[in-house]
Amino acid sequence: MSGNEKIKLLEIKRTEWFILASAIAAPFIFSFSPYFQGLLIFVLLWVIMGTSWNLLAGFTGQVSFGHAAYFGIGAYAAALPFLHWGISPWWGLLTGGITAVFLGYVLGIMVFRLRGPYFALGTLASAEILRIVFGEEKWLSNGHNGILYMTTWVSKYPYYFVALILTIGAILSVKIVMKSKAGYYFLSIREDEDAAEAIGINTKKYKNIATIISTFWAGMAGAFYMIYMGFVDPETVFALHNISIITILVGIIGGVGTIWGPAVGAVIMVLVQELFRSSFFGFAPDWVSRFHAMAFGLLVIFVILYMAGGVVGDWDLIAKKFRLKKSAEQ
Amino acid sequence: MKASGILFVLFSFLIVVGTDGCSKKDSDSIKIGVLLPLTGSQANFGEMEKNSYEMVKEQVNANGGIAGKRLEFIYEDDTGKPDVGRASAEKLININNVPLIAGGYSSSVTFAACAVAQQYRVPFLVNTGSVDKITQPEDFNLTISDGNKFYIYRLNPAVSEYASGLEGLLSTVVKPASVFIIHENTAFGSEGAASFKKFAEALGINVLDVKSYSAGVIDFKPLLENAKKSNPDMVYMISYVMDAALLMKQSREINFTPKLFVGAGAGFTMPAFKENAGNASNLVLSATLWHQSLPIKGAAEYFDSYVKKYGGEGPDYHGAEAYAAAQVIVDVLKRCNGDYTTETIKSALDKTDLMTVFGPVKFTSYGKKIHQNKMDTFVVQWIGGQLKLIWPKNLANATFDYPIDWKVAWE
Amino acid sequence: MIFQTLVYGLLIGGLYAMIGIGMTLIMGVLGIINLAHGQLMMVAMYITWVLWQYAGIDPYLSIFITIPLIFFLGQGISKYLLYPLIKKESILPENQVLMTVGIGVVLVELIRAIFSSDYRSVRTSYTDASIRLGQISLSVPLAIAFLISIIFTIGLFILLTKTDLGRSIRATAQDRSAATLMGISVKKITILTYGIGSALVGAAGVLLLPVYYLFPDVGPIFTVKAFVITILGGLGSPIGAIVGGLVLGVAETFGATYLSMGYRDAIGLVIFLLVLVFLPGGLKRLTKI
Repeated sequence: MSGNEKIKLLEIKRTEWFILASAIAAPFIFSFSPYFQGLLIFVLLWVIMGTSWNLLAGFTGQVSFGHAAYFGIGAYAAALPFLHWGISPWWGLLTGGITAVFLGYVLGIMVFRLRGPYFALGTLASAEILRIVFGEEKWLSNGHNGILYMTTWVSKYPYYFVALILTIGAILSVKIVMKSKAGYYFLSIREDEDAAEAIGINTKKYKNIATIISTFWAGMAGAFYMIYMGFVDPETVFALHNISIITILVGIIGGVGTIWGPAVGAVIMVLVQELFRSSFFGFAPDWVSRFHAMAFGLLVIFVILYMAGGVVGDWDLIAKKFRLKKSAEQ
Repeated sequence: MKASGILFVLFSFLIVVGTDGCSKKDSDSIKIGVLLPLTGSQANFGEMEKNSYEMVKEQVNANGGIAGKRLEFIYEDDTGKPDVGRASAEKLININNVPLIAGGYSSSVTFAACAVAQQYRVPFLVNTGSVDKITQPEDFNLTISDGNKFYIYRLNPAVSEYASGLEGLLSTVVKPASVFIIHENTAFGSEGAASFKKFAEALGINVLDVKSYSAGVIDFKPLLENAKKSNPDMVYMISYVMDAALLMKQSREINFTPKLFVGAGAGFTMPAFKENAGNASNLVLSATLWHQSLPIKGAAEYFDSYVKKYGGEGPDYHGAEAYAAAQVIVDVLKRCNGDYTTETIKSALDKTDLMTVFGPVKFTSYGKKIHQNKMDTFVVQWIGGQLKLIWPKNLANATFDYPIDWKVAWE
Repeated sequence: MIFQTLVYGLLIGGLYAMIGIGMTLIMGVLGIINLAHGQLMMVAMYITWVLWQYAGIDPYLSIFITIPLIFFLGQGISKYLLYPLIKKESILPENQVLMTVGIGVVLVELIRAIFSSDYRSVRTSYTDASIRLGQISLSVPLAIAFLISIIFTIGLFILLTKTDLGRSIRATAQDRSAATLMGISVKKITILTYGIGSALVGAAGVLLLPVYYLFPDVGPIFTVKAFVITILGGLGSPIGAIVGGLVLGVAETFGATYLSMGYRDAIGLVIFLLVLVFLPGGLKRLTKI
């Protein structure tokens, strides 16, 4: 790779520096409230998950409905050595991603033979099987009792910055790979896998590359979850709805197949859920909190119906609708 | 520019909302956090507990509050999920600045939320979450002697003690030779099963098998046929209410007749169990932590006024636990002499010695546990469509119907 | 014991088949993984429960009210929420699937807002009745469910193979553009098919209610079962669905009897993966219908 090309791969726009700066500043802006800092950490966690899913689904066209499998295995990669040998879950940041890649490879042998909806169902079933196994095999995972670990710090800052580093890593890796030759192959597989095969692209190889990167970050997110939350149980980390589906929705709301879509989707998702769950932080009457799930469901329906490209993908359209208003303000 | 534009808008929105949310201060009231499942599949229990907390609050405030201040409970919905439970506990501590958290329904959520309270050094008064480790300091990197560093207090007995009330009944009256254990595969179910196994073995009862099942079973007959084949004297079941009803109905269907069917509280004491199982619920036993007919001051009054206020079949032990927790909170706050900070509340909790509708409450240390309220449990039996207290004998309001002729009971 | 287990498995399998048959139609014809399947069934169960509780209508009779209602609900969902997506340009074809996730969430929360999370059940003279044949007990409502699902399967089979509507549905499933060229209103067929699929799972809900119980979150477990049956039987095949349902019922019951009740759900999923990988197309490939 020539020097010029390297620069091109790592090109970072001004706006992206701005986002990075605000992301670094964010926990200090919210220094008055660890609770809001906690929400920010959740946002980052979902950015990692959404970005991971988006590489495989949005860019490569392999829509996984079972990302909880990699998330969960990453979390248990951090938790199991702690349970059995008292090894700190922080080592999960080394092992979590790799374990998930390994799982992704094994499952890939099976599910990459499948196309479209079959692939989706195959991944969904894999995650569900893992959920049941980790619930039943008490000798391995402590079953439904879960694994608790007293987290290292009360302060949110260290966790926030660990999460931020992981997030930057995930987004950067997707950016780089999408600017490289592999990225074009991913897109061609998404558009038409048979045609890609026909023009001589080794689709199996490139699907595996996408899987390795994707599952790695999902596993890292899982390991970080264990480190930060200090608690895993199979129903939480292998959850079909709360992990696999939410991951997809983060991608869809933000914009499938865009670098920044999952980031925007994660912010919206956490914000909407938390605003409703806490009755708009106590401003709205109590009954509002009962509708946190419904609000989210309606948001999904709305986005899919009217913003098929997600917020980032359809930003130009949205901006156009509001442009009149904006110029009036100025 | 587009992505950063969106993020900027969202950020500024968060800041505006965030700062406003914190500026609200109200010095006329004492705010206590309560963590309960108010939506999701456990919501009906959460609702029962919330109602009970509200009853105490209304009564206290009607009588002038606590040292002139109104008592206020801030309910957070944990939705039955451990991660939401943790986030909710953080919100109560950081945003609402509560000096004490109470509640905690499901075992796994309570345990996860307790870890948060422990880290922030805010007392947590657990009233339902029952896995043993909640009050075991070793699970929080502490030792038994660290009582002054341990912020978790529990009013209800641990799941391993649920069945203790059965001991006398089993060893003096029934004397079963064998038991078959069936449990749902949750933290509550599997820990309850493991400790009942130990309990049975200590009594010299042969444990034939321990079988678990997951939610969503329509047909328990494969499991029950296995149990029937092993011919146990007694079946011990840890299940929530609708599974409990299905287990009994299908036992009747396949004519499975051990000497005793015993439930481990949870679903077996709920009115909905009787309603759904019909005659199949007749003469089924259950361990229970509380019954409205117990000779405890206020128990019957609590039950009656709950029914009067909210209608329905009335609360079971879950509601009584919540009511008692609220009573403890009122008592503790009154003993704080106007200093409602975490440390004062913690030392007031240490000195608690109060008679509640749930029985006497006192936080003691024994075994691996500290800050645990030790209490007796009881045995009830469904007799003629009503839940009757049958053990211990000196408190019973009905005689134990035994031996049981299931053919007659199920007619 | 083996024969007994087999009978229990077949009985529960009949009910499973009924749950799966609507899914096989929707997946086969529309290519949508209907993640709101269990939720539609849940709504049907609530309708049945309300009719029983407040109007005293027998659950099995209410099938004549519940099915049309769920049919219209399904048609409405299809017409206003799913069909418009077909024309929308989007990067992923899975948008419809995700729409069903949103629909499922909204249905559950609507029901929860109306009925709360309390458990409900219907209790009639026959809900607990059973017929004893030697060592085996046949639960009456499960036996009824078994018979009705056979009837519905045959009915759907006749509809698909012998009527013009059925031919149009199958043509649409095979090739949308060719069907359009043949003068079939693909839009109408698409919307109708989702309606029929919903009505079928609605019927399954009616049959499930007397043997089970009801709460807003009852659906998802059965959605997963419906996938397994659909993949096992082959897309769009009513005969495949009933065989798939029976196989699943028997496999689960044997697993629960001889392995572990806790792994009951995993058994179906493992079969599912094996079929996906080794017998793509499901049993339909063997039976051709």
